[in-house]
Amino acid sequence: MAMRQTPLTCSGHTRPVVDLAFSGITPYGYFLISACKDGKPMLRQGDTGDWIGTFLGHKGAVWGATLNKDATKAATAAADFTAKVWDAVSGDELRTLAHKHIVKTVDFTQDSNYLLTGGQDKLLRIYDLNKPEAEPKEISGHTSGIKKALWCSEDKQILSADDKTVRLWDHATMTEVKSLNFNMSVSSMEYIPEGEILVITYGRSIAFHSAVSLDPIKSFEAPATINSASLHPEKEFLVAGGEDFKLYKYDYNSGEELESYKGHFGPIHCVRFSPDGELYASGSEDGTLRLWQTVVGKTYGLWKCVLPEEDSGELAKPKIGFPETTEEEIEEIASENSDCIYPSAPDVKA
Amino acid sequence: MSHAGRVKRREKAENSPSGKIINSHDNSSIGGSHPALRGAESLAQSEPGAKTMQTPVTIPVPVLRLPRGPDGFSRGFAPDGRRAPVRPEVPEIQECPIAQESPEFQEQRARAALRERYLRSLLAMVGRQVSFTLHEGVRVAAHFGATDLDVANFYVSQLQTPIGVQAEALLRCSDIISYTFRP
Repeated sequence: MAMRQTPLTCSGHTRPVVDLAFSGITPYGYFLISACKDGKPMLRQGDTGDWIGTFLGHKGAVWGATLNKDATKAATAAADFTAKVWDAVSGDELRTLAHKHIVKTVDFTQDSNYLLTGGQDKLLRIYDLNKPEAEPKEISGHTSGIKKALWCSEDKQILSADDKTVRLWDHATMTEVKSLNFNMSVSSMEYIPEGEILVITYGRSIAFHSAVSLDPIKSFEAPATINSASLHPEKEFLVAGGEDFKLYKYDYNSGEELESYKGHFGPIHCVRFSPDGELYASGSEDGTLRLWQTVVGKTYGLWKCVLPEEDSGELAKPKIGFPETTEEEIEEIASENSDCIYPSAPDVKA
Repeated sequence: MSHAGRVKRREKAENSPSGKIINSHDNSSIGGSHPALRGAESLAQSEPGAKTMQTPVTIPVPVLRLPRGPDGFSRGFAPDGRRAPVRPEVPEIQECPIAQESPEFQEQRARAALRERYLRSLLAMVGRQVSFTLHEGVRVAAHFGATDLDVANFYVSQLQTPIGVQAEALLRCSDIISYTFRP
């Protein structure tokens, strides 16, 4: 019996989810942070989507969020002209970094000692987190607002994307090494350290470039405008989502479209694979995050593969008494409490 | 450097009926045989572009529960939560020989026994006529129905009040001084 993907919806945000990031794999598992226009970024357990806490303090929409590798620190970029650094264990605000315009992107170095920020003031800033009094180092050169900035090549270089260009900078000399021009707006950028691959989306294209030379490797066309794409850690698949509310999964080697899923009620703004590649998360204009299995039907996290003949006593019983509401609505209503309302395998079982 | 040399490699799933599709989820093949599935299940599928194909009947992957959402009253980051040091649980009770029970342990056992007796008394009240003494010397009688989790409210029926009989009512436990019944 073939299995069908059951996405797990994480509710809690009240406005569109515009960015999300996973931590590395820690002894406590891995974690997920989501940036939302409601100004309240949330930390969740990565494999289940369970809410852990909300970082309170920003006074405007949060456009970017990231976790450091061991998920002990979080950083957020917001429309209140600040970036903030948080203790991801206690939820306390550690630092507020004032900027001159909306901040869009934040990224930690591998050792969590430096934070890179970028935003509408067209400047890249590097903050030394061990020296709170020191002024950040600034890199100028972008001619439009910076949408994404990432450390790469073991933090020796910086990749940054504005509306129509992607630029590579050397960290030590703070100078531009190379740049790419696009005639369409760049919507997202992801950096894969193993293999030094850069994933760039623009228009309906999902493009892969070398992060070292910026030379193109390959690219795919999707059926609709794509806002974000992510490459699987083992580089077997990629997932992408955009304006048609659907998530697409492609084979990275052949470019074949493997699966596509409806489920979100608005454009998808961000997708990311988990660090172990077992699931991917998508954030949407509809205010939700959804977790999707890479291998549908595998037992992992909250997904439990049960054969129809097995006693599914531990599984959820379908909630009766809601004839008018669709299951999607029940899912939205009930996601606050831990009651199980997801049906087990339907009437197929005798 | 302008971006050139784009390689087109995508094949639309709908246009290749020769079997390149690995997972095609079609509304039309699911709706009929799975009456329990509505709404969300049919939404989490690809567009019905392969209507003419014989698609396999699929069942949704079962889940243990939904992800927990915010609790609605705090910012979270529970101090005893996920980042507590990972160490195996060692129940202290098993290490203590019975002959040397600590006073705390005895007290806990007594508390548990009293609590259990109280809960059983509530169970025994169900369906019986109970007489409640409220503030200001008010006495009312009713058929006991149920209590809530924190024993903050009693659900009763046929509540006899000085101004008439109320078919269904909730009595606030903080208003009750005592109650009595015959089992």
